[in-house]
Amino acid sequence: MTNRRIWAWAVLIATIVFALAPLYHSGDVSIPVHHFLHVVMLAGAALSALLFTAPVPLRQGKATWLVAAVVTPILAMFLMWPSEYALFERSPLLHAAQHLGLVGLGFITGYAGQRYAAGIGIVASLSLLLMGLLAIGGYGTSPPPQVLSPAAASVAQNQEPRPDVALGAAIFAQNCAACHGVQGQGGVGPSLIGEGTRKNFAQAVAWIKHPKPPMPELYPQTLNESDVRNVAAFVEALK
Amino acid sequence: MWLYLGTGLAIFFLMVVIGIVLRAEQAGWIPLDQGWFYALLSLHGIGMITAIAIAGLGTLWYFVYREIALDARIAYIAYGFFAAGVICVVVSVIPGEYGALWTMLYPLPFVGTYWPSWATGVWLVGNILVMIGFVVWCMQVLAGLLARYGGLRGVLGIDYVFHNHEFAEQHREPPPPQMFAAAITAIDGIISSSLGMTYGVAMIVHWLDPSVAINPLWAKNLIYQFGHTFANLTIYIAVAGLYVGLALCTKRKYHTSIPLVIGWWGTLLFVILAYFHHLYMDFVQPQVLQYIGEISSYLAAVPVVVVTVFSGILLVHRSGLKWGLGAMFLYAGMMGWVAGGIAAVLDATIPVNFDLHNTLWVPGHFHTYLLEGVLLFIIGWLFVSLEQRSGALSPLIVRWLAGVGIFGGGALFLLSFYIAGAQGVPRRYAVEPAPGPQMANFATVGALILLTGLMVVAVEAFRLRRLPESAELG
Repeated sequence: MTNRRIWAWAVLIATIVFALAPLYHSGDVSIPVHHFLHVVMLAGAALSALLFTAPVPLRQGKATWLVAAVVTPILAMFLMWPSEYALFERSPLLHAAQHLGLVGLGFITGYAGQRYAAGIGIVASLSLLLMGLLAIGGYGTSPPPQVLSPAAASVAQNQEPRPDVALGAAIFAQNCAACHGVQGQGGVGPSLIGEGTRKNFAQAVAWIKHPKPPMPELYPQTLNESDVRNVAAFVEALK
Repeated sequence: MWLYLGTGLAIFFLMVVIGIVLRAEQAGWIPLDQGWFYALLSLHGIGMITAIAIAGLGTLWYFVYREIALDARIAYIAYGFFAAGVICVVVSVIPGEYGALWTMLYPLPFVGTYWPSWATGVWLVGNILVMIGFVVWCMQVLAGLLARYGGLRGVLGIDYVFHNHEFAEQHREPPPPQMFAAAITAIDGIISSSLGMTYGVAMIVHWLDPSVAINPLWAKNLIYQFGHTFANLTIYIAVAGLYVGLALCTKRKYHTSIPLVIGWWGTLLFVILAYFHHLYMDFVQPQVLQYIGEISSYLAAVPVVVVTVFSGILLVHRSGLKWGLGAMFLYAGMMGWVAGGIAAVLDATIPVNFDLHNTLWVPGHFHTYLLEGVLLFIIGWLFVSLEQRSGALSPLIVRWLAGVGIFGGGALFLLSFYIAGAQGVPRRYAVEPAPGPQMANFATVGALILLTGLMVVAVEAFRLRRLPESAELG
């Protein structure tokens, strides 16, 4: 066995051991950190594939290899579905399986690219890593602390969908701003600045669902359950 | 090449018709439901870019294929992805009435929508399919170039620039200019598509699972990086037609020179950074990126435009060139590229951008680029090849009709954008404040004249295609 193949096996085994971490270690990490750890797995898998396929000749191979090298990074991004992380925290086996899926996709990207043509495996792997690193920046963001009020945090712990403040702001602008002002500063209706100190998240949701006149009842005809939660998260964040 | 070229130009022609409907609505000539206006505007925007890209990519693939044996089946696979993407986009707009454009700002297209949720999903899937087709094309061409020119050093002409004497002594030849267009398109295409696909996956995931939040600034950076780069690359794709076509017309060689190579390096690096000028008014964007955006906008375009146009003019000078439609379009395309470039550089200048960016000035600039630059390079090459094949030039009356239609009608159409933009008329609205509707009158008339010119050109292309091959050319 050549040195290169030994290195390829070593990198692949190390990556798999790292990917199986949920089986022997548990810890709560933020979505960006989680993405970063996934990028490390993808990088390890792609690198080992490149080491395995380094001596391929300079010729163009089959189209299937090329298509595989282009499509697998997209599948890897789907596998990095951020809201699943909460689920995986409770199921280490599923979590480890997801990691192995990422390792597999990372390996296929490098291997398929290299089988198509020398150098293309490197290009495809770099594209995959770029996509993974980009995901850290905003693909599934953890709400900032001031938004994640105790009530909202308890909702998150109960594995309910996390409210989206940006979406809430947009829904608020469309349905509530006419009375409460775009920034919740008040107008025809009362100011909502500091509402987070007067109502917790659950109370805000309950109020939006069943308000007292003259505030109109928009739930469930205009706003659905998710809209209400998003608007409540936005209102809770107003300072 | 003909499959790509034919499909691209056919879609382009349809999009011109839709564009005229939109301007006629703004002028008050025809009533159009506002929901349909935004749906058609969405279709027009992405359709134009995709159509011209497909036509240009087919042409550029053919130029690479003449030097390097490429597998045509892969070009068909890429075409399949493009076709599937186009079908998805059409389905999302025609029955679905999707209307948030292709450079939508998150939380669009998920809130305030008047179209069904499935239309959003189909639109996003269609966008991803187009990106996959583009990356397949880029990877194939890059692989071919790497193999042919001995890796990235050879493809980018690094030894040619830094070790020129040794290079000449070894009787080595740098890649021809069109190969630089292909290499830069492939490299930047892969980079920006990586960003676009990340954004696309995040949006599809959010569509399926709204609890997955997305950072709006991150989303805007990614979609504009892909969108601006993809749109910008169309001119660099099409300019290959100028390099090959003008050389054929003048019977001279379009040489690769050191300034040309360095100009292309500038494009390679800066075209992926120029998009920051779309975010000057996003005050949460780090300030340093705004300055990078301004400098990159200049450096992406200016060097390669100057070198290409200067050498193009020299190529034509005293060449005894016969001014057929091919030569006419290619030469005029250089002028359109310069005009669109000046308008773009103005918009990329921070103080000017604050006044012009959200106005009709910007559609003015990219319509100039597309209609009087990219399109002319592509149909210019098409006519050069038809003229070379048949050994015949178009009659004078046809050249006049095509010229008046495309340049005269085009000028009227484009000026209406610029004048309205300079007056502060906002873009992307079905109903515009004055002088928007007045200018839309001129724009509609100009666009109709332009359409007439394009129809003359299309008929003439079919006529030349039916002529027997020139005996001289065999």
